Amino acid sequence: MDFQLSLATESATSAYPEKPVAVLAGVAISEVVKLMRANRTGAIIVLDEAEKLIGVFTERDALRLMAEGADMSGPIESEMSKTPASITTTSTMAEAIRAMSDGGYRHLPMVSPSDPTQTVGMIDVRGILRYLVEHFPNTIYNLPPTPVGTTPEREGA
Amino acid sequence: MILCPFCGFDELIEGADTCEQCEQALTDVFIRAPAKGIEASLLHDTVGALPAHPPVEVGGEVSLSMALKTMVERRIGCLLVVNEDRLVGIFSERDALIRLGVNAKDLHDQPLVKFMTPNPMVVSTHDKVAVAIHRMAVGGYRHLPVMDGERPVSLISIRDILRYLTEHSGTSAA
Repeated sequence: MDFQLSLATESATSAYPEKPVAVLAGVAISEVVKLMRANRTGAIIVLDEAEKLIGVFTERDALRLMAEGADMSGPIESEMSKTPASITTTSTMAEAIRAMSDGGYRHLPMVSPSDPTQTVGMIDVRGILRYLVEHFPNTIYNLPPTPVGTTPEREGA
Repeated sequence: MILCPFCGFDELIEGADTCEQCEQALTDVFIRAPAKGIEASLLHDTVGALPAHPPVEVGGEVSLSMALKTMVERRIGCLLVVNEDRLVGIFSERDALIRLGVNAKDLHDQPLVKFMTPNPMVVSTHDKVAVAIHRMAVGGYRHLPVMDGERPVSLISIRDILRYLTEHSGTSAA
């Protein structure tokens, strides 16, 4: 399929959404950071008691707190980004890319189209790249990284 | 009419693996290089054509707290660690998350060199954009230093790549 067409028609669900890692709003920041490390994930979603999406906490937020040497015993609620941008399972790849580059996000929660507080996945910018690479292998992979090197001397010399 | 590049035989059938006359392998002959669109620009444009972001460089001896503050203040996700004009490592948000964790405060006085990723993957300004994408995808990197010889001259991120792709795909991506 053509590249252009593919971005505009392919669903964002093809960008390898991961299962979101979620915590409740009252959990301590230090616990959340530990969870992110253990799961090797750069973003975590925050839910309220009714399991509705209320915020996102990313490694950028973690970095800021680390730089400040801030106390990490407070609840995640106080440091998360509230009402995060999201896409739905019916969004296209192009919409996901647009949302990421407009907002400067590297992660987007993917929510149910009927209920925007119900998170079904997490899209990472790397997932989008992976989609592109895997669907256009001729362009990306069939290229020698550097031209074959020439040996400075005749073999055996 | 398709000519055999080896013997000039002129009754080749497109897609044939070998020439009927001289039996030379023809597998490369029928691979078409993309002529237009994004696929062609990926193979044509070099990394140097992407918008350059002068990398923020620090020495390996700077303290962790200094490094973290720089990243927050300059709003960047990644620092290059340079020693005598040579790139020795990279320190990204992910390194901070994985290697520091909740004890970051106690490590503030330690030198950055203990936490950086040494010998990072790089691209050269002459490499094609496709190569940069390839390296990012294979290694799972979000940043690649762009080298001109031994010196880092720019830093490209995965977002530059996505922007490049959407700009060159001709669609408004909306």
